[in-house]
Amino acid sequence: MSGRGLQERVVITGIGLVSPLGIGRADAWAAALAGSSGAGPVTHFDASAHGSQIAFEVKGFDPLSYIDRRAARRMDRSSQLAVAAAGLAIEDAGLVIPADAERFGAVISTGNGGNATYEEAHRTLLERGPDRVSPVALPMIIANMAAGHVSMTYGLQGPLACVLTACASSLHAIGEATDIIRRGAADVMLAGGAEAAVTPYAMAALDASRAMSHRNDDPIGASRPFDAARDGFVLGEAGAILVLERMDLALARGATIIAELAGYGATSDAHHITEPQPAGTEQARAITRALASGDIDPATVDHVNAHATSTVAGDASEIHGIITALGAEHAATIAVSATKSVHGHCLGATGALETSLTALAVSDQMVPPTINLDNLDPACVGVDHIRRARAQRVRTALCSGFGFGGHNAVLAICAVDA
Amino acid sequence: MSGRRRVVVTGIGVISSLGVGREDVWRNALAGTPGGAHITGVDIGISPVTIACEARAFVAEDFVDRRLARRADRVTHFALAAALLALDDAQLTISADGHDTGCILGTGTGGNHVRDENHRIMLERGVDRISPFAIPYSMCNHPPAEVSMRLGLRGPTMAMVTACAAGTDAIGTSTAIIRRGDADVMLAGGADAMITPLWLAGFNAMRVLSHHEENPAAAQRPFDTSRDGFLIGEGSAVLVLESLEHAQGRGAAIICEIAGYGASADAHHITDPDPTGISQSRAMRAAVADAGIPAQMIGYVNAHGGASRPGDPSEVAAIRRAFGDELAARTAVSATKSMHGHCMGATGAIEGALTALAVAGGQIPPTINLTDLDPECAGVDHVIGTARTQRLDAAMSSNNGLGGHNAAIVLIPWDDA
Repeated sequence: MSGRGLQERVVITGIGLVSPLGIGRADAWAAALAGSSGAGPVTHFDASAHGSQIAFEVKGFDPLSYIDRRAARRMDRSSQLAVAAAGLAIEDAGLVIPADAERFGAVISTGNGGNATYEEAHRTLLERGPDRVSPVALPMIIANMAAGHVSMTYGLQGPLACVLTACASSLHAIGEATDIIRRGAADVMLAGGAEAAVTPYAMAALDASRAMSHRNDDPIGASRPFDAARDGFVLGEAGAILVLERMDLALARGATIIAELAGYGATSDAHHITEPQPAGTEQARAITRALASGDIDPATVDHVNAHATSTVAGDASEIHGIITALGAEHAATIAVSATKSVHGHCLGATGALETSLTALAVSDQMVPPTINLDNLDPACVGVDHIRRARAQRVRTALCSGFGFGGHNAVLAICAVDA
Repeated sequence: MSGRRRVVVTGIGVISSLGVGREDVWRNALAGTPGGAHITGVDIGISPVTIACEARAFVAEDFVDRRLARRADRVTHFALAAALLALDDAQLTISADGHDTGCILGTGTGGNHVRDENHRIMLERGVDRISPFAIPYSMCNHPPAEVSMRLGLRGPTMAMVTACAAGTDAIGTSTAIIRRGDADVMLAGGADAMITPLWLAGFNAMRVLSHHEENPAAAQRPFDTSRDGFLIGEGSAVLVLESLEHAQGRGAAIICEIAGYGASADAHHITDPDPTGISQSRAMRAAVADAGIPAQMIGYVNAHGGASRPGDPSEVAAIRRAFGDELAARTAVSATKSMHGHCMGATGAIEGALTALAVAGGQIPPTINLTDLDPECAGVDHVIGTARTQRLDAAMSSNNGLGGHNAAIVLIPWDDA
């Protein structure tokens, strides 16, 4: 499919998910296909004074199943989710990491680092004074520590980074990790994101930006991308990490290839700090660039896992972007799913969770649904909205993410035997 | 190397305790001007540490409108100002659609002032009193996003968050983006404004800050026997990077070339560096290999030099390991953090800017406060106290960050011949 040699092609060989859809690739994928929502009232703290009191929390996650007790105590929940997801991804890939893993690296994002740790440390400072701030607070708060802990836990000694673009973060992370392999700086990269922002301040501050749903009496119906009655996003938390490998080396070790990470496009709106550009012009250009970067025939795009956060402005501009990039006739045939309807908006982890579901759609030739899409907003028409999981041909699928600040990223994922 | 697009530096904007603007900062760096002083710019309340390297000459209103000056975080003020200075230095006009230009800025923690203020408001007055700008103006990607919006950049923009290596990784990744053709121009660098009560307390709890309160100018003493930690610095540096064709096409004055970038991870410990320096030496070697030059060409290394007890010896060990003992002994090394402090996510960018000016002009800024070299830090040619004039065929800027991130870039002078 690509004009590149195998040494410059990058494939996905493992997926690790610790998500509101379930823990592990199989459970999460089954829940996504079933349209089984993970939403509910917030249980991590008392949210009764908050405007948005609902969330997609990760249920049944015991960090001690993945991390020893002493190490786990020094990790914010966001890092725990990352380390667990990375372990699941490595296992899924059947990857053996050598003792001197110079050619193994990681790019792992978080939207905001250790939220719970930050809130506790700053409160301690204000209420009890600077001498009471913990020596592990700062390293638990900084946004790069999820990547750091993954590197330390699994012994990855190659390039190690965290790129941050708000809600598009983990798409940029996967895209840049792909480029690190392509340019020869590593052979294997763990790429993705982790987020644990279901905390009092993070939720209140996100709500202050007026982008969250207040449908507190109906948690499962609250995240409703493209629906006329949508009123904002519902926060989620997750760890989602993919194993990316140089294609020739993956084939040589007999790895099971899930899909090819064939293209990456990144652009910026330069428009507004929280609002997307209404015409979706720069989102469209990210799609075009992602396809061009992998020499992919645009006509092969069969599926888009949309960013679609369920905000009024964002969902409409995204459909415009798809139509602009691929043409109205083609767009009308493209199966578009907004899986945030079942896993919520996991901020810095959301792009990696959605990329995982996109790769599985390509691998299984099956597209997951958008739930709660009862009454399609006329501003969102023009594509083939998927309301129930559907078996169909998926040659190329796109995964899109757009962040506060106008950061756009699109990944193009192709079936390997196409 | 053949066929690959070459990337050059055509503009530098820098703000730190050394001053505002390329000329000011470079003159003070060569003069060995200490930046450490008692903190006056922010109310730090009861703080266990009262010294830092503040960017005292910086006035936000000189660069940003009143609304942004009032609402946005100091880190964004620094970033926007450095970007404007860099564009001016490069004499560059952004293309009308901005498609060919992007921005990557490193930061440690983004808008700390905005976040702390809003968190305090929530605790004291309730969840509904938080500003609608609390998230957008505190997120780590706000500085590059604001630069993109104000200047009309529509290429790739992102924040790089690799703790103290972020500025170096931002320059390296921006170089990769130009090489692969995703942009012709990148504004690359970093910004941080971490002189806040929380981070003073947090770093102090980690026992990594200097406590030479009686003599702040001499407090940050990289490689010195009496070093006891770093001073938090603040500021920003933005470098205008261009593909060679783009720079030559518009007749730009080229400062130097970004020839190589390497990154590695310690996979060792949350806060302590790998004492053998093996991992950091890998980033250095990878940067040299990426540049396609022999290691002997590197005449100068701008070291991380965080003045930590374990960090400085491990860094010297890394240089010796990367270059070999014989070559290392002849390699000029200085830690400009002795002057501008540890500017966190901006530090790699500020040091990258100083390294660019060093290769361009054949002058090496010194390590100050190095009066009694720690024998564990011996084995390289320390440039101590005063600047040195020395022709450089290539230079390196190296940094490492909490979490085990190591990054190095190689710069070579531009020769029009």
